[in-house]
This record gives sequence, structure tokens and C-alpha cells, in this order.
Amino acid sequence: MAHSLSPECTPLKHAYDSCFNSWFEGYLEPAIANSQKLSEGQRNEYAKRKAEEFEQNCGAVWGKYKECVQKALKDRGLDELLEQARQDNPLRTPPSSQPRRSP
Amino acid sequence: MRFFSQSFLYDDPWSIVSLAFFLRYPNPYAAHVVSCDVVDRQHTESGTLLTTRLILKRGALPRWAPKGIVSRAETWIVEESEVDPYGKVVKCRTKNLDHVKVMQIVETQLFEQTPNGTLQTTEAYVTSKFGWGLTRRIENHGLSRFKAHVQRSRQGVSLMLDLIRQARLQPMTLGSYTSHLHSDRTSLTSSVSASSLDVNENTCPEDHTSPPQSGRWYDRFWGGR
Repeated sequence: MAHSLSPECTPLKHAYDSCFNSWFEGYLEPAIANSQKLSEGQRNEYAKRKAEEFEQNCGAVWGKYKECVQKALKDRGLDELLEQARQDNPLRTPPSSQPRRSP
Repeated sequence: MRFFSQSFLYDDPWSIVSLAFFLRYPNPYAAHVVSCDVVDRQHTESGTLLTTRLILKRGALPRWAPKGIVSRAETWIVEESEVDPYGKVVKCRTKNLDHVKVMQIVETQLFEQTPNGTLQTTEAYVTSKFGWGLTRRIENHGLSRFKAHVQRSRQGVSLMLDLIRQARLQPMTLGSYTSHLHSDRTSLTSSVSASSLDVNENTCPEDHTSPPQSGRWYDRFWGGR
């Protein structure tokens, strides 16, 4: 886990990263095992459950870490630069409108 | 504008390569990464995960660069990614936020599951608007730096793949394993050499090379990922 841009956010970042990484490993795996069989409804249900699990396990530390980083961005005048750069990003378009490759 | 494209096939399944890709900082092949923050992360309704990261990289100017071409040899990179565990696709796009008139590199990465392993496709556009007869030279420099960076970046991911394989053979969870390693750069570096010795046979040969020592300063001009 690399450092945060602001030293005071680094402990929060490490706590958040640990939590996220454990969750993310599980997020990738069961979906793989089932993705061939899942209907759209099951998939949405699974996605909802994983999102809730994330919120439950990591939501609090994510909130604190995000707040710390947002403040650090503002202090350094990076927030506007970042917002501008994100505006023309194709990844921001709703994923459902993008062509989906079959595995 | 210069364009670069390259594909690479990992033997490992998509889920492990994707995990390694997201865990790749810090690693000894990315010593130029100063900081890396998640600034936004969202679960979409279709179940994919959108992440925005802000990364600060240390670089250096080439010898021929005019003085004052940039005010400091660091650059902010924004990385936007989407993970789709159902379609087994990771899309990732990065670009530098500052020094864009001198040079902008827009890089896209695609990881997808194929019958033979995980296919990584890297594309990059290198654009300079500097003028003064230097545009072409800057773009060529950026392109050659980028090619070297692709190799190093892949070594970083391969290294993380080794660590993940090892972690899964041990009773520790990956989270505690990586935080232990990441808490101390020295211990990360030493376990690198250990992992290179008993590396799995199906990894690529470049895994066996030792991590790069800090190279000549001008080699590291925006030295990629």
C-alpha cells in the first residue's frame, strides 16, 4: 500500500486498503464461479449483496479516508484539476450502455 | 501524436491477474510512485465497480530538455477503472493531469479472460503540444519511455501474482499478508528475491530479473506506471 498524498491520511488509507483488498478478493471470486449460470436478476441480487457487505465492513473507514483525501485535494488546489480531467472520461458513461464482451 | 499497442497473455485466471493489477503499488519496479489514493469508488447497478485513483509519480527530465520546461519533475496521474466480474473484464484508463502541454500520455489497459489465460492489451497515445521544433522529439522520447515502462509495469504485476500465489498457500489472509509486506519496503524487497527463487514454472522469464536499481535520472522522465 503506497502512501497517501497527505501524510495525515496515510494511516486511514492503509486501514481502508486492507479492508478493501479482503473484500475485493471475494468480490472477484464467487462471481467467476457463477457468472455463466447467473440470470440478470441473480446477478443484480449478488451485486447488491456485495455492495452491502462492502458498506458494512469498510463503509466507516472509507468515509473517513475519503474525507481526509478530499480535504487534502482542496488544500493543494487539485480538486478542480481532477474534476476537469474526469469530465471527458468514457468510463463515466453508464456501463450498461457499453458493449459487453462475452468471456 | 504517437500510438503504441501491445498484448500480453498471463497464464493465471482473470480474477488473480485483476487482483494483482490493483495491488501493484508499491512494488520494487514502481519506485517512482510517490503516492496513490482512491478518490472515488462506486458500485454500479449492474454490479461493476468504478474506481478513480490519483497517483503522484516522480520523474526527471531528459538531458536535452530546455530549462524550465516543467516547474517540477513530478506529475499527477488520474486512473479510472471499471471491474466487471461477470463479463470478466477490467478496463483502465490513465492520463497525466499536469505538464499536458509538454506531453500527455493517455493509456488504456484491458484485461479479459480468454480460454488460454488472461489477455492484457495496452494502448497509449503520446501527444506533445510543445512546439519550438521539439514536439516530435518529445513524443519519440515519451514513446520509448513508455515502451520500457510497459515491461517494468508487467514485471510489477507478475511480482504481485507471485505474492498472491504464496499468500494463498499460507494460512494468513491476503490482506494481512500484503499489509505486513507493505508496512516495510525493505521486507518487501527481500521477499521479492525469495519469491523469485521458488517462482512457479509457468511465470514468464522476466520474473527472474532483479528489481531495477535507481537508474540514470533522465531515464525516469515520467517513467510510466
